[in-house]
Amino acid sequence: MADVIFVVNESNTTVTDRVFQMVENVINMEHGSVALVFLIGVIFGGIIQYTRVDKFEKIAGFSMLKDTIIPKMLFLTVGLTSIGLYFMIDAGQAHYHVKPIILQGLIIGGILFGISMAILGKCPGTGPVSIAEGRIDVLIGAIGGLFGGLVFTLYYDDFFKPLMGESLGNSILTDFFSGNEETTALVFGVLVIIISIAIPKLELFDEADLSQLPDDQRANKT
Amino acid sequence: MSNRLPWWMGGILMSGLLLLTFSIYGADRAIGASTYVPYVASLIFDLDPEKYSYIAHIKNSGSWEGVMLLGVLFGGFITSVFITKSFRFSLIPTAWKKYKNQSVLSRLLWSFFSGFIMIIGARLAGGCTSGHFMSGMSQLAISAMIFGGVVMITLVITGKLFYNTKGKN
Repeated sequence: MADVIFVVNESNTTVTDRVFQMVENVINMEHGSVALVFLIGVIFGGIIQYTRVDKFEKIAGFSMLKDTIIPKMLFLTVGLTSIGLYFMIDAGQAHYHVKPIILQGLIIGGILFGISMAILGKCPGTGPVSIAEGRIDVLIGAIGGLFGGLVFTLYYDDFFKPLMGESLGNSILTDFFSGNEETTALVFGVLVIIISIAIPKLELFDEADLSQLPDDQRANKT
Repeated sequence: MSNRLPWWMGGILMSGLLLLTFSIYGADRAIGASTYVPYVASLIFDLDPEKYSYIAHIKNSGSWEGVMLLGVLFGGFITSVFITKSFRFSLIPTAWKKYKNQSVLSRLLWSFFSGFIMIIGARLAGGCTSGHFMSGMSQLAISAMIFGGVVMITLVITGKLFYNTKGKN
């Protein structure tokens, strides 16, 4: 049935074979060992889970302006990382990996992404964390996402690539302030950190989670 | 042990993880979390990379993020069971019941639909919250600032229109 709709690989492999191939691809790349990449994932998932920012109440709650933990943590992360990264790159300890300015893709994609983030209450990084803590509705969302990925792949050349438009380059903020790169990076970083602290802290709690905890550990009481 | 970390601790730790990943002693690349979706789709549906240029295009990033995803699932599961103690099966979020409706079917249909357009959107823009917002803005990338601005505005407008928050705290 499936091969009527799209072209499958001819070399009859199982899903397991293909997952091993994926791991082998990582081994052949120079972007960290498989163990390190896995560990980065474990820490990423652990931080998101431990701060509870994968919750519907946090992300959809932000869309209703009833919870601001997401922007506070995001802006703080960006502010700190931007300063650290600037000096690391300057010292040759890291490289830029800047994504292109594909204006149409960024705007159309950003609109679709913003709408779906408000409705699903997850994004592609926080979704798996919620699935790992037993959220069936997010699993259904991920299956929808896999079909989205399938459709995007099938119609990439004919439809999506032209829709994204041409790249206007890979500019970064400091390109517009040549001569003052260091100051620009520092001002940006500090400004973003100040924003993260200045955003008023609002929280929307999930009674279903709180009720599983002893009374003195309930986050809304501490 | 506390069952949750404050936002500022989360920001500091996440920043450390991003810098480790960027560093030449780490992975010498940015963290991203949306390329794995079409890549995993190509593994599941066994798409032929010779026929679909996009798969060849994302092979490396998709594989890297695919391995990271396995770690995310593992890390999220362990943390939810042992630290936050929030592991439980559920079909509908508490706030959805309060601000949208009580229907499981409605939640699941909207989940499927929003998951579908979320990945189309992320791939059109070339990144998501991780790749654009966190990794991109940390590099002062203009692309990430455009994406971040559009997402924030659309998110808040959608939240206002989609949920019924009037008279509820």
